[in-house]
Amino acid sequence: MVPLRVRSCFSLLRGTASPASLCRRAARFGYTGLALTDLENLYGLWSFLAACEQENIRPIIGTEIETGTAGRLVLLVRNETGYRNLCNIISRRKGKESLSVTSESAPLFEGLVLLSRSEATLKVCRELELEAAADLGNRPTEKGSRLRRLAADLEIPAVPVPDSDLGEPGERSLHLLLRAIAASETLDFALRGARDEVHWLHSPEVYTNRFSVWPEVGRASDEIAERCSFGRPSAGLLMPPWQNHGRQAAGVVLRQQAYEGARQRYGGTLPVPVVDRLDYELGIIEAMGFSSYFLVVRDIVQPLQPDGTRKSRRICGRGSGAASLVAYCLNITNVCPIRYNLYFERFLNPGRSDPPDIDVDFAWDERDQVLAEVLGFFGERAAMVCNHVCFKPRGAIRETAKAFGLPGYEISRMTKRLPWFFKRSDLSLQEQISTLPTLKDQDFSGPWAEIIERASGLIGLPRYLSVHPGGVVITEGPVRDYVPVEQAPKGVPIIQWEKDGAEESGLVKIDLLGNRSLGVIRDAIGNLRTNGADFSEQGWHPEDDLQTKAAVGAGRTMGCFYIESPAMRLLQKKAGSGDFEQLVIQSSIIRPAANEFVREYVRRLHGGRWEPLHPALEEVLDETFGLMVYQEDVSKVAVALAGFSHSEADGLRKVLSKKDRELRLRDYRDKFYRGCRDNDIEPSEIERIWAMMMSFDGYSFCKPHSASYARVSFQSAYLKTHFPAEFMAAVISNQGGYYSTFSYVSEAKRMGLVIDPPDVQVSELSWRGKGARIRVGLQALHGVSQEARERILSCRSKQPFRSFSDFLQRVQPAENEIQVFIDSGAMDGLDRRGNRSRLFWEAAAREVKTGPGGGGLFPAVEAGSPPLKEQAPIERLRREYRALGFLCRTHPVNLIGKGGVHTCKGVELANHVGRQVNFIGLLLSGKIVSTKTGEAMEFLTFEDATAIIETTFFPEVYRRYAHLLSAQKAYLLRGLVEEDFGALTLTVERVKLLSNTSELHSTAG
Amino acid sequence: MNHHRFILHLNVADFAVAVERVVDLSLRQKPVIVAPLQAARAAVYDMSEEAYRDGVRKGMLLNRATRICRAARVLAPRFDLYRKAMASFVNEARSYSPVLEYGAEDGHLYLDITGTHRLFGTPPDVGWRLHRQIRSKLEIDPIWSLAGSKLVSKIGSRLVKPVGEYIVANGDEQRFLAPLPLHLLPGLKGFERQRLSEFNIVRIGELAALTRMQLHGVFGRRGETLFELSRGIDDGAVRPEEAQPPRVVREHIFSNDCADRTVLKGVVTALAAQLGMELRLTRMAARRVGLQLDYTDGATISRQASVRKGTADDDCLQRLALTALERALTRRTRVRSCCLIGDRLHPRSPQLHLFSDSTSGQKKEHLLAAMDRIRQRFGREAIRLGSQPVLP
Repeated sequence: MVPLRVRSCFSLLRGTASPASLCRRAARFGYTGLALTDLENLYGLWSFLAACEQENIRPIIGTEIETGTAGRLVLLVRNETGYRNLCNIISRRKGKESLSVTSESAPLFEGLVLLSRSEATLKVCRELELEAAADLGNRPTEKGSRLRRLAADLEIPAVPVPDSDLGEPGERSLHLLLRAIAASETLDFALRGARDEVHWLHSPEVYTNRFSVWPEVGRASDEIAERCSFGRPSAGLLMPPWQNHGRQAAGVVLRQQAYEGARQRYGGTLPVPVVDRLDYELGIIEAMGFSSYFLVVRDIVQPLQPDGTRKSRRICGRGSGAASLVAYCLNITNVCPIRYNLYFERFLNPGRSDPPDIDVDFAWDERDQVLAEVLGFFGERAAMVCNHVCFKPRGAIRETAKAFGLPGYEISRMTKRLPWFFKRSDLSLQEQISTLPTLKDQDFSGPWAEIIERASGLIGLPRYLSVHPGGVVITEGPVRDYVPVEQAPKGVPIIQWEKDGAEESGLVKIDLLGNRSLGVIRDAIGNLRTNGADFSEQGWHPEDDLQTKAAVGAGRTMGCFYIESPAMRLLQKKAGSGDFEQLVIQSSIIRPAANEFVREYVRRLHGGRWEPLHPALEEVLDETFGLMVYQEDVSKVAVALAGFSHSEADGLRKVLSKKDRELRLRDYRDKFYRGCRDNDIEPSEIERIWAMMMSFDGYSFCKPHSASYARVSFQSAYLKTHFPAEFMAAVISNQGGYYSTFSYVSEAKRMGLVIDPPDVQVSELSWRGKGARIRVGLQALHGVSQEARERILSCRSKQPFRSFSDFLQRVQPAENEIQVFIDSGAMDGLDRRGNRSRLFWEAAAREVKTGPGGGGLFPAVEAGSPPLKEQAPIERLRREYRALGFLCRTHPVNLIGKGGVHTCKGVELANHVGRQVNFIGLLLSGKIVSTKTGEAMEFLTFEDATAIIETTFFPEVYRRYAHLLSAQKAYLLRGLVEEDFGALTLTVERVKLLSNTSELHSTAG
Repeated sequence: MNHHRFILHLNVADFAVAVERVVDLSLRQKPVIVAPLQAARAAVYDMSEEAYRDGVRKGMLLNRATRICRAARVLAPRFDLYRKAMASFVNEARSYSPVLEYGAEDGHLYLDITGTHRLFGTPPDVGWRLHRQIRSKLEIDPIWSLAGSKLVSKIGSRLVKPVGEYIVANGDEQRFLAPLPLHLLPGLKGFERQRLSEFNIVRIGELAALTRMQLHGVFGRRGETLFELSRGIDDGAVRPEEAQPPRVVREHIFSNDCADRTVLKGVVTALAAQLGMELRLTRMAARRVGLQLDYTDGATISRQASVRKGTADDDCLQRLALTALERALTRRTRVRSCCLIGDRLHPRSPQLHLFSDSTSGQKKEHLLAAMDRIRQRFGREAIRLGSQPVLP
């Protein structure tokens, strides 16, 4: 027999086994085929198909749907029509449409085999001549017996099914845990609820023995499996269709538009290299049938407006698409691929069978509008790609602990200090956690051991679907004919597959992503213009500006796109050049597994001697000092040394960024070694080069991407250098940078800017800069609703506020909002007496008067406010900090007593290189890395009022103090000041938490 | 009429620890924590001043507490001992006045000694004498304070904690209170404290400086209460236990907090049986059963179930208790303790039913009576239903 009803872990929060493990088990038992029937979804389709291929068993695609009174109905795909119908049925069920088998809905069930336990449904199916079978369950029962008799009467088959949620019996407790999590209940709830048995996949002998009384049913299931011959959905590449208004072929239109764009980019007469490159690219694009794809992306990025002009948007092309001159000429990307020597084959080459993707960044707050336009324009022919969100250690432990009934604060105390991911998979979760330095003082007694053990079973199981950050697929017909579609909670349609699944099925994805820095640049320039400055972006070449280059070379780039992280700023300081070309290299070379190459790069940049990896690579890697920096360097090296074809080399590059790559990588490795040996390369050399290629795992960029980003980096750096107030105001207003608002405010103060507190009379919604001053925006007020902020602006635009009571009267803020307004200093402009206590009194008196019970028959006689003392300065600051999250005029570190210890200010560290110093700083952020021996260490960023300081915590020190460290608290550090190519770091040896700021924070809640 | 009253407030700080220290002298001057032993998730029931200073708090997980205060000796709670000690403590006080008010085993006691000076001497003398008497007889050292109201005497005690005494002369209340920080004033609500800090009012005297009208203006009706509190005005009487409505209370504290409903149901059923026995022994019947669940995170939920006709029957009480449990179990957090309260009591009618409809009812009554007798003779756990767990 063939198991026709099996659920995997993609029956979310219910099934426990992955499709791969189910297929392995089925193959071990000697089944020839397997039907995967997850609940109303095809989430696991591609991993199921891959596993079937691996195990050499025949896949049967199916699902189970709820039909209300008739119970669950199993649907198995027989043919192409059936698959299309299945996708539509699932999509309709996901849209909460109720479905049952009737004469109206009959066409929807064509091409499918229906398994049902409902006698009525079976009869209807027979009448409508739909292919159906009676579902006898996994053991003979009285009901089964009735069904079997009915099936015989109707002359339809009756089949046994595993009806299983588990792969093996041992997964029962995991299943109960999942049920408890799904119901937001404790574990004993799941136990009580598990009255109906939970099943797992048995061997065929078990079912044959059980059903020996009805010997014919096993054969019937084989026959059904035989009829379900639909192997996998494949429709070739599904390109987004381009609306051909002028009835011209897409290739012709693309050529025309590309040349038109080129003339705008390069002036009237096109240089020969441009013409050659355009022709070359257009030839390949045309030959591969991607012309319409380019035109669709162009229509999305710059939609045609009713007046025939194109709407211009601030964008940044990302990914390999930036290597295309055609894309540059269509204004889909912004970096000239000829000037920066970008490799077109990385994007498109004739040997490539997979679709390329053009990715475009929009300003973060405009992106949703772009998406809405696309989804609105294409209707049901467009949907977004989804992400399958799986349990990670932190979430798994949190959810399990909740199911064990532990209170939230106890869970947070534990999970907050877990790093986001674990690298060493050879240890069990329990072992990994118990050796974590951050959890040194954690109590693992009681239920924790069991919680962690059971949570480890959850890790990797899919939990829910989220929306991919920007992937959109557009198809010729409705998307739901190709893949089931459902609505994400945020209201957009999503397909049921992740990007890899979409790619396998041939769907071509366009990435439309949000980018904060495009918003920052837009707002900074907008702010400049409202200040009356005349700023034009035409002919703006920030990469040629000397002052900007100096700032970048000195690492003064906090707030600048992509180059503001501590590691990046240190690297720029060490490089010291500030060149655009070097920045392109730098933003690629910083990746988790490439620390030693970073050091080597700096050495070589400063004139250190170096030999090419191999004479054949001299040309290939010359511009990166013989180091492999970009993704495509992997391909280039494979072509040059091992004789790979372009498409093979590209395949190797792609495999490196995949999660489960081991198997496929082995083939490439063998081929690479073989190819190198054929070219007489020494085995030790091959080893070394292969190791360098492996440092590209997971996270790396191609040169076009880096160049495209570096341009935005330079634009930000230019604005920061020349218009610091406007720029920093825009950085803070747009939120979401690498650092917190607090840190950006400190940076602004260090740059010599004055931060003016919020003021309801003058503050705008966002922060505004002018000259050397920044005015805090109303958005910075914690806990004030957007409506209240907008009311302030609209009331003020009619007439300025005359007094505090006038403000209360017109804006009608809530009580907690009034508190924030007063504490933040936003009311000081309306308070002539300068006494915030009195403002609070006035607000309270007003509330009592107008609140419930205040409008009595005899209104309370108004008593004058008593003489109240103004708050003490420290109390004022504490309240300001609570209301804003930062202090406008001073730095919290300045408020801390030194306790008699001699300390150094951040700005003075340069005078103490090679010496031990004490430094008081506030912890901003940190990055845990693993040493070569697998020990954890951390790079932490601290600041005081004068400077931002990078520190190193080596493993031993890190182990000792990790549990004390948390952001926004102040510490007394003792350590050695070190210098490397002009970049200062503090290697910390001792740490003391200073309680004064924690007090500031405890009151700040 | 304030100046006519003399209220004595006695408070044994950290009562359980104080009692343990009487039993074991070696515990004195050392940090002590009272919490169930041999339970992985035990919570602190009480701790000594030394442990408190190290950061140990009631309800904190014992594992955490012992890490904060490594030197602490940890003792298992002995509730019977504390009950006895509390009873002796109350008895000593009772010899000075019949009007006294006290809680469960918490070491707090109010004594109204107004008008006893002819019998026992001046009120301060009563304080000193009672204190001496308790110290010599029970070997515990209560704080005591004397004032014209419960409010002021309580503040006096707070001021001298953990040892000492305080006497506030009649008419001296305002002067006594004025310099004290606001947090010593009992009876203020959270938002009132917040608002006062917004007005930058930090001492009781600053609050007392506000007029009644001003307080009404910013606190509404509560202004009157604040007005009186800040001036030490409190007419609240010491309420002797006879004046409180009768009720029967049984409590169970889980040594390991409990997330399992089956266990919870068992415990509640067992508590209901204890309640039933107590009611039958005192010939009372309850019309309402209330259940208070204390969750591990500090939240408390109380729910009740009632019947029209009072009952002392185990089955009926258990049904009510389980109904209350169903109503109270609204969260997925572990339960630390549950307390079952039978109230709306009335005496059981000794009259027999004229038309007794079933012999089974009588049989059951006989059965319960027999079980009660066995329990009285051989202990509470000598006989029970199979589904009931053994409670300590």
